Formats: sequence, C-alpha cells, structure tokens
Amino acid sequence: MVTLAETDGIALFIPKTYDIVWSLIILVIVAVFFYKFFMPKFNAIFDERAAKIEGNIAKAEAAKKDADEAKRKYEAQLSTARVEASKIRDDARAEASHIIADARSRAESDAAQITANAQRSIESQQQQAMVSLKGEVGALATALAGKILGAKLESDDVQSSMIDKMIDELDTSDKK
Amino acid sequence: MSEAMGMLLAAEPDLPTIDDFLPRGILFQGTPFEINRIILIRIVATVLLLVVLGITAKRAKLIPGRWQGVVEMGIDFVRDSVVYQIMGEVRGKRYLPMISTLFFTIFVFNLCGIIPGMNMAATATVVMPLVFAVWVLIQYWITAVREKGLWGYIRDECFPKGVPWPVYILLAPIQLCELVLIRPASLTIRLFANMVSGHLLVATTLAFAQYWVIESANKLAGIPVGMLWFLFGLVLTLFEAFVAFLQAYVFAILSTVYISMSYPED
Repeated sequence: MVTLAETDGIALFIPKTYDIVWSLIILVIVAVFFYKFFMPKFNAIFDERAAKIEGNIAKAEAAKKDADEAKRKYEAQLSTARVEASKIRDDARAEASHIIADARSRAESDAAQITANAQRSIESQQQQAMVSLKGEVGALATALAGKILGAKLESDDVQSSMIDKMIDELDTSDKK
Repeated sequence: MSEAMGMLLAAEPDLPTIDDFLPRGILFQGTPFEINRIILIRIVATVLLLVVLGITAKRAKLIPGRWQGVVEMGIDFVRDSVVYQIMGEVRGKRYLPMISTLFFTIFVFNLCGIIPGMNMAATATVVMPLVFAVWVLIQYWITAVREKGLWGYIRDECFPKGVPWPVYILLAPIQLCELVLIRPASLTIRLFANMVSGHLLVATTLAFAQYWVIESANKLAGIPVGMLWFLFGLVLTLFEAFVAFLQAYVFAILSTVYISMSYPED
C-alpha cells in the first residue's frame, strides 16, 4: 500500500491551528444556539403542553364535580318532592274521609230531625183527629144508640153512664 | 501477486488514504482561519443544523407535527434515556442543554460521513471531538469543585476509602491521570477513530465497486464482483448511519456519567 505510507498516520492526531479555531468557533455557535434558543424554546413548549394537559384534567374534574353536585341536588329535590307528594296525598285522603264523615253525620242528624218533626206533626194531627173524633163519635153514638134503643132505655142515668163507659173504653184503647 | 494484479487490472482502484483526513486548504491558506474540505463540511453541517433546528424551534407548536415530533423524540431521548436516567431529574436539569448540544451536534456531524457530496464526517479530524471532550472535562471539574471542593474531589477519586495505603502509590497517579487525561482522550479517540474507520471502510468498498464495474478490463467477472462490493458498501453505509447515532449516544452518555461522578455519592 504505497498510498498509506505517503503520510504518517500520527499526523492525524496532531491538531492544526485552523482546525482548533474552527472547531471552537463552531462549538461556541452551536452551544449558544442550544443554550439560548433551542432548549428554552422546547422547554417552554413542553411546560405549556404539560400545563395545558393538567389544566384540561383539572377542568374535567371540576366539570365532573359540578355534574355530581347537580345530580346529588336533583336527587335530593326529587326525594323531597316525593315525600311531599305522598304527604299531600295522605292529607287529601284524610281530609276527604273527614269531609265524608262530616257530611254523613250531618245528613244523619238532618234525617233524624226530619223524622222527629214528621213524627211530632203526625202525633199532633192524630191527637186533634182523636179529639174531634171523640166528640163526634160520642154525639154520633148517643144519637145512634138513642135511635136504636129509644124506648128500651128510659132512664137517662143509665143512658149517660153507658155513654161515659163507652168513651172511657175508647180512651183507654186510644192510649194503647 | 502484484504482477498478476497488474495484468488483470487496468488501473489501481482509487482507494481512500489518510490524506483524505488532511485535505489541502481551499481558503485563507496559512492563516489560523484556513478552510479545507473537512472544515467546509463542518461549517455547512453547522449551518444546516442551526437552520433546520432553528426553524423547527421557531415554528414549534403545542401540538407537534411530524417533523417536530421527530425532533422532540431526540430531545426526549437525551433527557429521559441519557441525562435523567444517569443522574436523575434534580441534578440533571442543569446539564440538559450541554448534553443535548453534544448529542445533536455530534450526531449531525457524524451523519455527514454518509451524505453524498460530503462523504466525510465533520467530526473526522481530531480537534472537533477533542474540543467536545475538553468541554466535558472542564464541566466535570467545575461540577466537582462546586459539589465536593477541589481537594474533596481529588481525595474521593485518587484516595478512595477502604484501600490499604500502599496501594495509593499506584492508584493515585492512575486515577489522577484518568481524571485529567484518559477520560477526554478516550472520548476524543473513540469518536474520531470511529469516524476515520467508517470513512475508510465505506470509501474502500465503493472504490472497489467503481473499479470492478467500470474500470476493470474483464467485464464478465468485473460486474458481479463490483456489484458485490457495491452491496457491501450499501450495507456499510447503513451501518455508518447506525454508528453515527451510536457514537453520539456514547459520547453523550459518557459525558453525563463523568459529570455525575463529580457529585458526592448519596
């Protein structure tokens, strides 16, 4: 290998001045770029992304909490409403039975009143009828008996005692 | 052997040499600002890196697009799989920009080795890896002095507890050498040598492919052999893409480990 012998391999490891200069310049440029621009920029992006994701998670959690709260409130209201409704129903039922009982007792007392009144007027009418009947029956019976018996009953005393007895009997039968 | 080859081959294949890594100056020859092919590649790669990542960062949105997703994947990778995994979030936060700079820059510079037209990693001179390594060196010494004090650091590293004192005679110089020389040298040489060998491998296979397919007198044998070389070159190019990532990752992770070792154990 003639070509490899042309330059001593050790030459590769001897730094050249221009190489040092350019390497340093480039290192500084690249380092400044990474330190001052590239890494801060991407770190900002990463931080912003993390913050955004965390924010969204927090927001979702808050929304869930709100929804849970609303659900809880709604359910509480629902159960209160249910209790109220059943209470109202019970009240109404009680009121209704109360009203019915009232109406019944009033109707019964009315009916009793009416019955009693009717009874009383019937009794008084009967009394009157009896009184007038008594008078008329007496006279009628006397007249009738006088006509039938006429001659047979001469004595007035007998006659009047007979009549009285008859009326008495009538009275007692009447009272029964 | 050479006679047989001489008969068979019309010309020598254009094999890569180490001169590829010591190109002639194009601009400002003789000044400290001399620019040769590799420096030019390095400048172009830097501009590309800054423009592409700059535009990405400028247009970065809360909801990332595809490209931003790729870049963020890189940032996440450095942050989670390299820095935070080794030194945790509390200590690691401060070094994120540094390790990200190292990782992204080395990765892009390494990739230049397989970009057509460049065909040479921007990290393929010894100084670029060295500059990165020296930065790491300075950083872990600063961290050590801040966290443990200068003497505390040297004591912990060179005179570890639980070792019989005669061992220190051997151990202390080795450890000190490790702290000031071996760590940066290993960082430098690992990266540099990988890029050099990567270029040599890919360029060699492609040179042979070119030679066998186009320049060989014997087309009947030349084309299949050349295609085989080309296939080999293709595989190696893909492998170099992997190495570009791997070396950037190794550099980043070792830098983090060195900085992390400057902290007191707890």
